[in-house]
Amino acid sequence: MSTTTATVTLADLTRMLRESAGEEEGVDLDGDVIDTPFMDLGYDSLALLQVIGQIQREYGIEIPDDAVVDAETPGALLALINSGQAPAA
Amino acid sequence: MSLTQRSAVVRRLIVSPGAAPQEPAPAVATAAGVSAVLRAFGRSPRDLPARTVVLLGTAAADPGIGPEHEGFAVRTSSTPGRALRAAHRELHTADADFALVAGFGEPDAQTITVYAVKRAAEAVAEGDTVIGLLDLDDGPADENTAPPLRPLHTGPSGTDPDRHRLLLWSGRTADEEQEVRGALLPLLSGVHRESFPVLPTTTPTGTAPGPVRGAAVTVSALASRAVHQARTSDASHPRPVALLFPGQGSQHAGMAAGLYRRDPVFTAAVDAALSHMGEEASRIRADWLDPARAAIGIDDVRRAQPLLFAVDYALGCLVLSWGVRPTAFLGHSAGELVAAVFAGVVSLKDAAHMVQARVREAVKIPAGGMLAVAAGEEQLLPYLTQDVGIAAVNANQQVMLAGSKEPLAEVAARLKADGHTVVTVPATSPFHSPAMAPASDAVETAYRGIPLREPKRPLYSGYTGTLMRPDEARSPRFWARQITDTVYFRKALDELLAADDVLLVEAGPRQTLTAFARRHRSVRLGAGAVTPLLPARTGTPEADRQSVLTAAARIWTEGHDLDLAAVSRLWTWSEPDPLDPSESRAPRARAEVQPA
Repeated sequence: MSTTTATVTLADLTRMLRESAGEEEGVDLDGDVIDTPFMDLGYDSLALLQVIGQIQREYGIEIPDDAVVDAETPGALLALINSGQAPAA
Repeated sequence: MSLTQRSAVVRRLIVSPGAAPQEPAPAVATAAGVSAVLRAFGRSPRDLPARTVVLLGTAAADPGIGPEHEGFAVRTSSTPGRALRAAHRELHTADADFALVAGFGEPDAQTITVYAVKRAAEAVAEGDTVIGLLDLDDGPADENTAPPLRPLHTGPSGTDPDRHRLLLWSGRTADEEQEVRGALLPLLSGVHRESFPVLPTTTPTGTAPGPVRGAAVTVSALASRAVHQARTSDASHPRPVALLFPGQGSQHAGMAAGLYRRDPVFTAAVDAALSHMGEEASRIRADWLDPARAAIGIDDVRRAQPLLFAVDYALGCLVLSWGVRPTAFLGHSAGELVAAVFAGVVSLKDAAHMVQARVREAVKIPAGGMLAVAAGEEQLLPYLTQDVGIAAVNANQQVMLAGSKEPLAEVAARLKADGHTVVTVPATSPFHSPAMAPASDAVETAYRGIPLREPKRPLYSGYTGTLMRPDEARSPRFWARQITDTVYFRKALDELLAADDVLLVEAGPRQTLTAFARRHRSVRLGAGAVTPLLPARTGTPEADRQSVLTAAARIWTEGHDLDLAAVSRLWTWSEPDPLDPSESRAPRARAEVQPA
């Protein structure tokens, strides 16, 4: 239902993942994380929803809540966001 | 007959109590004799279960023996046969968790045969050596004759090349590991697939594993690729294992069901835990195993709490059955009671009754719920009301709120309006909120009659955020207040990880606590580590087994040596479902394979 105008890069996503986890507790996001499951990075569904909320606000785009279920890795989430054809829940 | 209805002899010893065995007089049961029975297996009576009963089978009992000796109940029967039968009754219809039976004049007039008897399902779950099961049905009708002991069958009952199995290999050096792996590959591609399940678990065989280790969890068809691609691990400095038990919110339909009837220890442990839940037990199990037709949904407190208790406990028993000796235990919310069982604070049966009491009182409280909020505790203080409190502080940006239904919905709406991320935790009761106060008072009364002991092994509490003190462990009020008080899981995990660099193993469904641990500094920096036992989401039964084997592989590559015969039952053992006529004696789990 939504159409994205901006492209979210892995660097953007990594920055937001880092910010949402807080400085004190964060996760190791250096290296190749694009295909690492969010669970393995320490992001449960709540943490991921928070990041998605932040992306929506920052980029003015809409991402369905189902993205948390569908996108298991940063790569999959980026593909879903940037495809611009994320179906509404 | 199910194991839960049987009794197992786990130790047996013949003692000669008299200083002068040449004396022809038969042994007489005396107070000193009872003291000797309590110490017969080299354990101090202090280390015996709180609910131990001593049963004397003797024609000649000193009238000076009272109904209690050194704090334990003592009963006298006229013969060893009657005493063994009485032990079975004490274990199954009375309070006893452990029976020491002294058969006077067995096998000779001057000797005493001492038996240690437990409920059979618990003996299997807890890894006791079962000498035999008391046969009270087919044995002699004469009560005075000792019932025969029947062997326990837990051998492999079927192999299936499409079930995941473990392949482990090692070398003393990195080069040697490469060599061993290189020799394993042609073997795997050449092996007939039917022979795949019976290949040795470790290579090389016959020698102690080296410190450079590799492991693969795979089915026959993918074995070569899995071994080829596996990473090597330095196993020279294994970190001790600590077990984490999740609580309310981690349950899901059919959780861990892929292990039921596929591992003997897990199966016996679930059955043992549920067997103490009275008439409701069979309905709880039926709803668990057939979620599509469940009368009561898994998120209902009447299912979530008993089943989380049973599954967490059974997973803990499974890990212990591999020979792992955890250095510490920590449970989240209801998981703390499971941790308490493993730490020796309370028996399985009493803990199951505590869960039941909790459920019984929780359903009387008006419906409520729980929320997870991606925020710090401080940020949430302005949102708290008389009815909505902080239920748990789990991680830096992960706090749970709980309260009665409508006030909680109002708080959720306010939080969302302010831009907070909020997720509803599947729960029907407002655990860890002020609304639970009447339930807390009621369970405290129920808990008063339960023997509570100080932890024998390090037990961390989410309620104090640190090691549980002996006086806390023994206090009914401490346990009763848990349903109203806040869980400080983050603090407790902090303390646990500050004490030692450990490999945390989450013994429960989902990976809730694993995610919290991965966000912890110790794990992030690689000082500590964490591995879940089960998948993050609901999957196939085979995915449950694959996940558990992956955790076993992780513990082995850490450097711990496992009882591989025990681990291998996950791909060699199965028990037919008594209610499913389509299952043959050796059922084959097919069409559930998930290629890695």
